[in-house]
Amino acid sequence: MILNEIAADQQIGFPILTVLTFLPLAGAVLIWLFQKDEDLIRKSAMAVAVLEFFVSVLLMWTFTPNSAQIQFAERTSWIPAIGVGYHLGVDGISVLFIPLTAFLTVLIMVYSWDTERVLLKPYLMSLLGLEGTMVGVFASLDLILFFVFWELMLLPSYFLIKLWGPGPQRQYAALKYVLYTLSGSVLMLVGMVLLNLNFHEAAVASRTEPLYSFDFLDLLTVPVPPKKQALIFFLMFFGFAFKAPIFPFHTWLPTALVEGPIVMSVVLAGVKLGTFGFIRFVIPLLPEASVRWLWLMAGLGLVGILYGAFIALVQSDLRRLLAYASICHLGFVLLGLFALNFQGLQGGLLQMINLGFTTSGLFFLTGFLVSRTGSADLSAYRGLARHLPLLATFMLFLGLAFIGLPGTNGFVSEFLILLGAFRAHWALAAVGVLGVILGAAYFLWYYERAFFGPAAPGPQKPLHDLYPREWGIAVALSVMVLWIGLYPAPFLDMINGSVQKLVERVEQGSVGKAVNHTRLPKAKRPVATGSNGYPDASPPLNVPAELLPMGQRP
Amino acid sequence: MTFDLNLTLSDLLLMLPELWVTVWICVVLCVDFLMPRMSQRAIAGLSVAGMGVALGFLLWYYIEGTNGVLFKGMFVLDRLALFFKILVVGVSLLVLLSSIDYVSRFSFFKSEYYFLVMMAALGMMFMSSANDLLSVFITVEFSTFGFYVLVAYLRDDLRSSEAGLKFFILGVFAAALLAYGTSLVYGETGTFIFPTIAQGMAHMTPGLVVGWLMIFAALGFKIGTVPLHSWIPDTYQGAPTPITAFLSIAPKGAAFAILLRMFFSTLAAFKPQWVWLMIGVAMLSMLYGNIVAIAQRNIKRLLAYSGIAQIGNILIGMAAGTRMGADAVLFYLLTYLFANLGAFAVVIAFSQTTNSDEIEDYSGLNRRSPFLAFAMLVFLLSLAGVPPLAGFIGKLYLFVAAIKEGLYTLIVVGLISIVISLYYYLVVVKKMYISEPADPTPIKVSGVLQSVIYVGLAGTLILGIYPRPFIEYTVAATTIFSHLGAVPVVTTLP
Repeated sequence: MILNEIAADQQIGFPILTVLTFLPLAGAVLIWLFQKDEDLIRKSAMAVAVLEFFVSVLLMWTFTPNSAQIQFAERTSWIPAIGVGYHLGVDGISVLFIPLTAFLTVLIMVYSWDTERVLLKPYLMSLLGLEGTMVGVFASLDLILFFVFWELMLLPSYFLIKLWGPGPQRQYAALKYVLYTLSGSVLMLVGMVLLNLNFHEAAVASRTEPLYSFDFLDLLTVPVPPKKQALIFFLMFFGFAFKAPIFPFHTWLPTALVEGPIVMSVVLAGVKLGTFGFIRFVIPLLPEASVRWLWLMAGLGLVGILYGAFIALVQSDLRRLLAYASICHLGFVLLGLFALNFQGLQGGLLQMINLGFTTSGLFFLTGFLVSRTGSADLSAYRGLARHLPLLATFMLFLGLAFIGLPGTNGFVSEFLILLGAFRAHWALAAVGVLGVILGAAYFLWYYERAFFGPAAPGPQKPLHDLYPREWGIAVALSVMVLWIGLYPAPFLDMINGSVQKLVERVEQGSVGKAVNHTRLPKAKRPVATGSNGYPDASPPLNVPAELLPMGQRP
Repeated sequence: MTFDLNLTLSDLLLMLPELWVTVWICVVLCVDFLMPRMSQRAIAGLSVAGMGVALGFLLWYYIEGTNGVLFKGMFVLDRLALFFKILVVGVSLLVLLSSIDYVSRFSFFKSEYYFLVMMAALGMMFMSSANDLLSVFITVEFSTFGFYVLVAYLRDDLRSSEAGLKFFILGVFAAALLAYGTSLVYGETGTFIFPTIAQGMAHMTPGLVVGWLMIFAALGFKIGTVPLHSWIPDTYQGAPTPITAFLSIAPKGAAFAILLRMFFSTLAAFKPQWVWLMIGVAMLSMLYGNIVAIAQRNIKRLLAYSGIAQIGNILIGMAAGTRMGADAVLFYLLTYLFANLGAFAVVIAFSQTTNSDEIEDYSGLNRRSPFLAFAMLVFLLSLAGVPPLAGFIGKLYLFVAAIKEGLYTLIVVGLISIVISLYYYLVVVKKMYISEPADPTPIKVSGVLQSVIYVGLAGTLILGIYPRPFIEYTVAATTIFSHLGAVPVVTTLP
């Protein structure tokens, strides 16, 4: 597959992705070097975060929608001896994650504005460092550069969980998180090296240069033999599955989310790095293996959905409930991605963005709740709606978006995912739908007990409802939830071009010609095929016009 | 056999750096002897200046591309030798600098210390050029002599004496092995010189196998691989810390120069046989070093065990047995140099104030000296291989070379050991950044030590972020191994 790219210089005139990646890191260094005054530190960290957000909006604004091209590309060589380059670029798959990260960081800064903290300076530095490395992960198109940011991210995460986590077992949680992710990612590194060497063999055979390359676009041009593909697929699978985390590698997530600080929960649950890795690298680089192991991946997705939902049903601690609910929702993302058709991939991708708003919103609200009641456990509060009407309202709204109420963003993406799953095989969708029902059950049941039940016996502390700062966070997230829920077209336009290209890639295989998908399960209904090769969704199933890819809109 | 020494004086120019260091050692000794009132700092300055000039000579040779062979092939000066000489001289410069404060702890013979360090360095410079078994034996023993004294230099410290004794006994044992192995190989082939040995070996006879194994064991003792590592922890712990730092890099580097010449040139045809040896030793070193390091309570012992594991990592490149493997070995040695030397410099600076090497006492180092804590963090993470620091690029290079040769088992063991190593490095990091200090007095770092740490930091960061010139440097140094397969073509992406 050949992907074209437009250089950042032609498109916008300055290396915007480098700026986005290194602005927060530079901000962190500046804070470290020059500032002593706490108030000034706080303000400058906020200024960096806001500036980053504006630049990321500029990125989204100037991004050409409905295009499969790599945009804002920058490349220079880094270690030419083994083919490592500095290559940044975004396409439809990655472009939305950068503003999302920047948006969440601004909210996190607002959230931590007034909180009294020990070690304020390293705290804000860690947050900015985390932001920069995450943007780097999303923008990298060189596998080793990606890996560098991927690993670098562990450092601020480790310190954030370990130093500022409220839980008694935060040390254990931090170490577990780091060692789990690292074990997965070293395997991923081997997979990347194998891809490089596969490229090397082809380059030697055809006498072309460069001889070695870790570049995503270079690697796409070389077919990978099926046996090797299976090996690399599983090596990379471990890297991303540990991070995502996909059942059965999920055990670090509840620990980290419960023991770590709220801001870390927002990032870990809100920014879906693991599944991003699948759609960015695994599916396009290893299309045959992805098709071949579709059952495994979709199956793990389904198990995750059911497992997460059932465990969430019996939780009394809100943070733990949200942790398992995240596993459940990750199952949906995985199901969508590995339906490997247009709607599934589109839905999976959109779901990742949506969870960034809803899950993190719920974690923010949990943080507000904990700061009032001192605990996220049901034993500490009952009947809260009486004292905290605003918080209860936002909790309900974001929670309903979380479980996919029509009109909210969760509905759009879950609908697309189920649609995609149905077209892959009806049984996948049938089991997936159970997850939606269970989702409604665990959330509403918990909500009813926490907010509407009879007040807890004993003397009641007067609780203050949301402060303006907290109110602002909740409103900002709710606006995004409604926007994507009611008018998702601009966002879908941005991702459509690349998703379409990805579907072509999966159908043609890495060799570049149509492969016989003997293992790809067929839907029972015959699927009409559009002129450009991917299945045409509109005739058999009534899809709302704005959900269709651009080319097919009436 | 006649042995004639018909060489012109200009041939000796090839040995100019060595000759210069020899002369300078005598000068330093004489100055100390004739001017007893001269302070040890001045002597230190004199030694540093001498080594600086030697480094200048070496760099000049490197730029000029000087090369040649002396004494019928016993002494060779090529890019590989120059690479290791620059490494050895650079390390001894940094060690001299970081010793200046430490030397005040000695009760006697403060100035002779510098003389001994330079003598060991001279021995290792010759080691880098050794091209036959006889000169291997002589140079290895020559450099070790200096160390025998230096390790036991803290006269009043029992640990130091114990370390010296252990090092001595095992060192002599290794020397015996080396001599016996050499005699066996000579008996089978009738020559000492590496290139001619290769012609004399049609196939491996039992005598040759035993002989080479003994030579490898003796050099394995130098680099400290499992199962020849037993001297390392005690010696590292007991020796004066600058000497520990010196021991942990320079002799290992010089020994790798010999190992590379031995295995990649002389024994290149027998790779299918020795590759198993390398794989086995590498795996054992990585696993043993990393697992035992977890239980350490003393930072010098921790670095000793992690050093054993790092040598295991370097042996991955030896096991690959290709030109790329050799490049990776050289590059990894560079990354290891900066990170390890830097870490030991922090240890010296810390013990200068607190007089302790226990990890427990590193608690809250960040409050006491943010600079030391940050430097240690960078060095430990580089040793663990966390990107974008030097150690990551080094490990990546080694892994690419090994995976290309299909050494998957070795890679899996290597990866497991990385995860283990991150655990114990993080334990130290946790102590420095998170635990409360028992004694919150700030730690002062002297200017010289600070500059050594800055060199370590700069090296670790630059090798990680912009490794290109250094990789080109190592690739140039391994031209003599170009028979081992394709030259990695340095290309520029559009």
